[in-house]
Amino acid sequence: MGAVGFALTAGPGIAPSQRQGESRVQPSGMGSSSNAPSASAMTAANPEDLALAAACQRGDLQAYEQLYRLQGTRMKNLARHLLGTPSDAEDAVQETFLKVQRSIASFRGQSSFVTWTFRILVNTCHDMRRRRMRRKENVAQEGGAAPEPPEMRASGAHPSLRLALERAIATLTQHQRDVFLLYEVEGFRHAEIAGMLEITETASKNTLFYAKRSLRQLLAPPRGSQRGGAE
Amino acid sequence: MNMRCEDRERVFLDGTPEEWAALELHAASCPPCAEEMRAWQELSAAAKELRDDQENVALWPRIAVSLEAQREQIARREKRWAFWSLGWRWPLVWQTALAGALVLALSFAGIYFYVQHRQSGAAGNAANDPFLNDHALAEVQRTENAYMLAIDKLAAETKPQLDSASSPLMDNYREKLLVLDSAIEELRSEEGQNPSNAHLRYQLLAMYREKQGTLQEILESKP
Repeated sequence: MGAVGFALTAGPGIAPSQRQGESRVQPSGMGSSSNAPSASAMTAANPEDLALAAACQRGDLQAYEQLYRLQGTRMKNLARHLLGTPSDAEDAVQETFLKVQRSIASFRGQSSFVTWTFRILVNTCHDMRRRRMRRKENVAQEGGAAPEPPEMRASGAHPSLRLALERAIATLTQHQRDVFLLYEVEGFRHAEIAGMLEITETASKNTLFYAKRSLRQLLAPPRGSQRGGAE
Repeated sequence: MNMRCEDRERVFLDGTPEEWAALELHAASCPPCAEEMRAWQELSAAAKELRDDQENVALWPRIAVSLEAQREQIARREKRWAFWSLGWRWPLVWQTALAGALVLALSFAGIYFYVQHRQSGAAGNAANDPFLNDHALAEVQRTENAYMLAIDKLAAETKPQLDSASSPLMDNYREKLLVLDSAIEELRSEEGQNPSNAHLRYQLLAMYREKQGTLQEILESKP
């Protein structure tokens, strides 16, 4: 894994590749979400997607299992980044499946079924996060321990770049965090993210840009130690 | 395509593959841009490392159980509502016919209760009506006839006493009886024209009662 800012590996060659319908430049060797379903599988309502949605509408439990097999890991991964803990992430995924079952009748195929499901997941995570914040505020008002502030700057001595990046992501705005995780971590396209978060593609691109710029600043090495670190 | 340092952020924001290639060419001779590009791209690479593909094998069974439980709950709720929403699954023609039948039934029920109310109201008013019905009139007439016969007998008993005596008291009694007979005659003629008028009957009865009292006084004054 290359380090960002404080432990940068030698710059890989720029290998412009194109996601379906949009330009994207990825460092060579990163691959393009090989373990996730291809982006084209999640664009608006393809036949497989519609068939899966129809089976879910019929109440077929196997269809839900198929949805879980296709997207469960990704859903849990996203939820873990939005909520912080694996147990909360699993609760969020379970709640999302229950919500999908409850409201599947209202799915009209205007967007991809997977996009629709992820939109529910993101909203569920936000709700859970808000509830948790409220609980923490109540505890704080009752004299409990103050929440631990996130680490704002990754130092060169930090044991884990991954942890540093996760903490830096936690300092982003909710919107920036959603877009960054969906695009950079989960490999969704801007068109899909726009559908999930009910924003425009341009807004998704702008938000990603500002999120990355913030992360770049947060993870930048202290002056004088540039190009030092793990190299 | 010629790139400058100022174009870098625009390319980061929404650059085409050609623009990225041009920026890479520019970065080859511009260390600050090369550093920024490298950091920018490694951020993406690091983000990919955040993926955690470890699967919790217990999660799906847990979700499946909760989905099954919710499905049963939904089915129970739908079954409960199915009874009440039965009508809405009928064709529109049947729904219209049912609505029409209900309107008709309500109209008939309304008319029936209105008529019943009118009739019961009429029956109730009869009790306070100054005009007698046929049955009551026949009963009154029978009683009156018996009463008049009794008074005529009484008058026949007092007749010798009235004819023979010439005292001023007897003269008064004779005169009073004449007045009473004349009033009775007049009321009888009115009653003939309107036999159901209860008020006339009361007046006639009062006259007879007065005549009866006068005749008894005459009998009691017999020496």
